[in-house]
Formats: sequence, C-alpha cells, structure tokens
Amino acid sequence: MQALNITSKDLLILLKDRGTLFQLLVLPLIFIVVFSGALTAISTDEAEQDTRIPLAVVDLDGGEAAQRFVTDLDTAGGVRVEPYAQDEAEALLQERKLSRVLTIPARFSADLDAGRPVTLRLVNHPDADPEKTEATRLVIEGVAQDLSLQRQILASLEQMAEMQANAPETSQVFTAERMIAQAQSQFERSRTQPLIDVAQRGPQRGPQRGPQIAEREADAFPDAVQLAVPAFTVLFVFLTAQTTAHSIYEEKRLGSFRRLLAAPMSKAALLAGKMLPNFVTALIQTAVIFAFGLVGLRLMGLQPLSLGNAPVGVILVAMAMALCSSGLGILIAALARTESQIGGLSTLILWGAGILGGSFVPLFILEQFLGSLPRVVPHYWANRAFENLLIRGLGLTSVITELGALLAFTALFFAIGLWRFDFN
Amino acid sequence: MTPILDVQQLSKKYGDFEAVKEVSFTVEEGEVFGLLGPNGAGKTTVISMLTGVLPPSAGTALIGGYDIRTQMNQAKQLNGLVPQDLALYPTLSARANLNFFGQIYGLRGKALREQVEDVLRIVSLTERADQPIETFSGGMKRRINIAAGLVHQPQILFLDEPTVGVDPQSRNHIFESVQRLNRERDMSVIYTSHYMEEVELLCDRAAIIDEGHIIALDTIENLIGLLGGGVIYLGLPRVDAGLLAQIAALPAVREALPAEAAPLGEGEAVAQRETGAKVKVVAEQSQQALVNVIGWLNTQDIPLTSLKILEPNLESVFLHLTGKTLRE
Repeated sequence: MQALNITSKDLLILLKDRGTLFQLLVLPLIFIVVFSGALTAISTDEAEQDTRIPLAVVDLDGGEAAQRFVTDLDTAGGVRVEPYAQDEAEALLQERKLSRVLTIPARFSADLDAGRPVTLRLVNHPDADPEKTEATRLVIEGVAQDLSLQRQILASLEQMAEMQANAPETSQVFTAERMIAQAQSQFERSRTQPLIDVAQRGPQRGPQRGPQIAEREADAFPDAVQLAVPAFTVLFVFLTAQTTAHSIYEEKRLGSFRRLLAAPMSKAALLAGKMLPNFVTALIQTAVIFAFGLVGLRLMGLQPLSLGNAPVGVILVAMAMALCSSGLGILIAALARTESQIGGLSTLILWGAGILGGSFVPLFILEQFLGSLPRVVPHYWANRAFENLLIRGLGLTSVITELGALLAFTALFFAIGLWRFDFN
Repeated sequence: MTPILDVQQLSKKYGDFEAVKEVSFTVEEGEVFGLLGPNGAGKTTVISMLTGVLPPSAGTALIGGYDIRTQMNQAKQLNGLVPQDLALYPTLSARANLNFFGQIYGLRGKALREQVEDVLRIVSLTERADQPIETFSGGMKRRINIAAGLVHQPQILFLDEPTVGVDPQSRNHIFESVQRLNRERDMSVIYTSHYMEEVELLCDRAAIIDEGHIIALDTIENLIGLLGGGVIYLGLPRVDAGLLAQIAALPAVREALPAEAAPLGEGEAVAQRETGAKVKVVAEQSQQALVNVIGWLNTQDIPLTSLKILEPNLESVFLHLTGKTLRE
C-alpha cells in the first residue's frame, strides 16, 4: 500500500511535468513519423524494383553446382531466392510465414559431377497461392532443366574429346552430323530423363485448410512502420529509466527521501514505490505509441502498424520491457550521485544501448556488421521479440528466449542497483 | 513518570569518524527539549537515528517504550519529522503534499481529510491549500514543512532547524505553532537549532552538543546559571596568583581564573586580540563586578589592555564551555 501511495504521488508529479510528458509520449511519435516517412520512401523504391516471388532455399550441399543453381534461379527472373537454414525454414513454413521451401540435397554437386541424377525437394504450404506455386515450380524446373542439359551436353562433349584424344586416327569419325545428332540426343534425354529432378509436395495438412497466405505481406521486406514503431517504442520505454533516476535524485535533493525513510515503511516498499511509476509509465507509453501506430499513422496516410498474430506475446514483451526499464532506472539512480552523472549515464547507457540494440538500424542489418555484440543490451532482446511478433508474425513461443533475456537483465539491474543504492 | 524518549549511549560512526559520541538524554511527555549546537555538531545525526533515517552504530533509544533497534516501525508511528530541508514536492499543492504524507502513515478517507484541514489551520495556510508549493514564500513553505510532520498526529515531533532562512514574521509564526502544539496537544518536541534565542524562548530543557558530545544538559535557567551573572575577560600585562585572589575577593565577583585568551565573539577578528595575560572573571552580577574590578585595577595602577563581557545567555554558555561561538 505504501508503495502505491508513492506511485500515485509520482504519477501526479509526472502529470504536471509537461516537458517530461512531451519527451515520454510525444517525442517518440515524432521520431516514428519522420523515420517511417523516410523509410517508406526508400522501401517503396526497393519494392518497385523487385516484384519477384520470394522463394526460401535451403542449400544442404553448398558445393559449386549448388551455388551455380541458386544463382541461376535468382537471375532467371520470376523468383527471388532467400537463403534459410533448414530448421528455420521448416518452422516458418509451419507458422505460415513461408509459402514454399526448396531444398538442395547434400551431395548435389558431387552427384551431378558424377553424372548421377539428383532430386530437388520443393515443399509448398497447402495454403500457399496456387498460381504462385505453379509459377515457382516452372521457374525451378526450367532452371533445373537448363542445368541438366548443360551438364549432360558438357559430359557428352568431354566424352567425345576423351575418345578423340585416345585415338587421334579416328578423328574423322566425329563428323558435324554425328555431333549434332549427339547434341539432339542429349537434349531429348535431358527432357525425358533430366539429371536434376524436382519432387514437389505439401506438408501434413490439418483437419481444416486455413485461409490463403497473404504472400506479399508474409514474405515481403518489412515495411518502415513495422520497423519504426516497435524500435522507437523500445528506445523510449528504456529512456523512461532516466525519469526514475531523476525522480529518486530529486527526492534526495529535496529532502523528502528522509521523510520517506522516517515513515513506517520498508526500504523495499520505498524502492518499489519509486519503481512502479516507471513500470506504469512504460506500459502507457507502449499503449500510446502502438495506438498511434494502429490509428494515427492510418489517419496520416501512412501504412498502419500490424500487431501480428500473438497479441498476448506483445503484451508480455511490453511488460517485460517495462520491468527491465524500471530496473535500469534503479541501477542508474544507484550509480549516479549527481544530476549531471544521471544525464551522462543515461546518455551512455540508454541512447548507446538503443543504437546498439537495433532501435535505429534494423537488427538484420546491424548483426551483419556487429555480429553478436548487440545481444549484450536489453534493447536487442526487446527489438528481436517485437521483430518476431510484429514483422515475422510468429507466435508467443517464438519470444520465450527474448522474454527470458529481458527478465534476466531485469534481475541483474535490480541486484546491482540494490547493492549500490545509497539510502543515506 | 516514564519519559516519552529515552536516549541511551547513542553513537554514530562513519569509518573512523565519530559523528555522535555516546549521547544520552530523556524527554518527558509534553516537554519541549532543545538540542543546541553549531552546524556540524551532530544534532541532525542524532535526530536521523531517532527517526529511523540512519541506523545507530551503538547505543539505542526508547520512543514511547519502543526500542529503535528492534521496534523502529512502531516507534516511527509516534514520531513526526520536520527535516531541515523543505522536504515538499514543489509542483503539488499544499493539500496534495499533506495528503501524501498522511497516507504514508496509514491515514485514509475522512480521517485524512480532517487531519489535513487541522494542520492547515495550525499553520494558518488553509486559504492557500490548493496552490502549488512552488508559488509559496520561503516562510510559507517552512510552515507547510512543519504541517507535513504533524499530519499523522505524532506524539513526539522532531523539528530540525525549522527556522533556517525564514523571515521574522514566519519565524514568530513557527514559534507560536510549536508553543500551541505543546500547550494544547501536550505534544513533546525535540527542537534543534543553532539560534540560542530560539532554544531559550521555546525549550524547557536543552542539551548543548558540540563535536558529537553533549557538553551540558539542564533546564535553560540552570544552563545560563553556569555563567552566574556573566563572565568578564580582562587583558592585563601580567597575572599571578596574588592578583587573581585579590580580584576574586572583590564584591560581585564569584571567581577569577587565568585564561588562555578570551573567546572570539561573532564578527570579531583575530587581529583585534591583544597579547598579554588574561583573566576570566565569573561574576555574580556582571555590571557591578566590572565597576569593582576596573576601580580596583586603577587603584593598583594596573593598565587594562583588553576587555570582553559575556552576558548570561546560552550563547555565552556555549562560548564559555567550548571557546567557540554557535555560528562557527
């Protein structure tokens, strides 16, 4: 009860602080509008340049012929190759996030080199757009046929060259007519008995077929709003930690902290009371920013935010993130002794971690040049959780690791904060 | 009668530095007790330990029979703290501040509303109750600061330098409030100050504290009585036992002692001091003793090189006991 008294008092003070309210609730919306607008322009241009059907390709071989096949497939027109690991592709296919997956088997290159037939496996989701599935199949088979023919003709020519080298006196045996006949034979053979075959199947169907997968949404490059709204929510929710640190500092500066210590309440209740406003504010922030993403952006003529398929997951991530931000507030309050130290630490920790954790640059780009480094900040895990839920449209189980990481950071921040907190 | 506050050998150490050294005193119900000492003497540290803000390093205290080491939460219910700082939330109204400080002591609903109105009346700020604290004058803030310590009806009120930075009118208002609380509600008050006139005016008894020690503790009359009718510091070319005995024998003189130097008064520069021997004359009545001493020195043809008279008050007592002024 004591903690709630402090919380309601702090929220009342916050309501009267227009500057802080602007920073917490309005500034993120400005960031989102500006970044969404800019990114939308860029991503629209990219989308106009590439209208091919996305195709997930799992390359279990990795050899020269497999790589050549993938390159040919991507440049053939019609499909855009997106490489995936096998587990990831299977999971995404089950989650209806991929419509079809082409698997290149192990020993693909070796078997082709040896002239042994190989089979590519194309798995289509039962709810995939059948026209796109058919188009994709034709492209794959076309590329496979070309590669088969090329391999078979080359093998035939190599065989003829070998025969000629072993018996130069019989060189006149290979007349132009005979060579043309040989090529026609190989061409016919590659059509009727292709070296590369494509086996097509769908996964186990459930009792009821679902609605057709909206492939453009499911497979497209994430749009600007889906990137900007969660990214800036994460950034600004963690920036709320600065408000908690300031509030504790102000309480000490004014002397009211002494009054609170003299009141019949435990130190734990006191700290909980100072932490709860952060938690509540962070949840309100998330709700306001997401509501703006859903409604405000639509009214402004921008693409609205999609909440994905697991709203419970979104709520849990928002709560874990708010808790983590509160812990960070206590940590900063414990480490900083002066107002300028709070400012310095906040800039370093909150903005620095925001940049490192993917609030300004999407994680899939960031990880390309920073590797695993972003994982050391909680922002990364919050951003990754939102990416799974909102961009990939995955379910609650896809963010268990991220939720665990956020809670682990929370525990760490509290432990250090309580250890270093100066009640005197 | 059991005292409402019984402080026993209370000490506070910060590393090797001992801020409070085995302080002991008692306060009776309905008594106004002063803690008088210069800044840094340890007054606030004593209050901080008694109100649960700081844990004691040694010793303990009983507040209403509750031991602060083992029953601090019960003791806190009896305490009201008015810190030296203006411990209020500037953007909130006076009423919102008082509501909050009442709530953290468990007050709710009608009881809270009535108590808030009551303390607003005590500090005469009912009409400004709904205005933000930041619009108040310094004196008004001080009064709300006191009200915040009263809202839960404590039995013992700790007032830590409540008049620092306050205009004379508000200071008088604070004095009246303290006297009214004590008179009408029989509230015990621990009043710390480095203004001796405040302690003289408000307190029944006082402890003089310096460098963490209590150096004197008694009623105000008895403390002032330590100086008799005052103290006169004489600067003379030479001093010997015979001279001291002759001065001590003069009418209105209680005793004459050799003194290292007369203590500096407020605003007195060290350069003003003269060299030579010093005599400290403790008088029965300072003016009569001064006339007698100067007359006798003239008859003996002994020149007076310096002279300082300490009137009998707590400031002089402190000077007499420590060689320092309260403002040092």
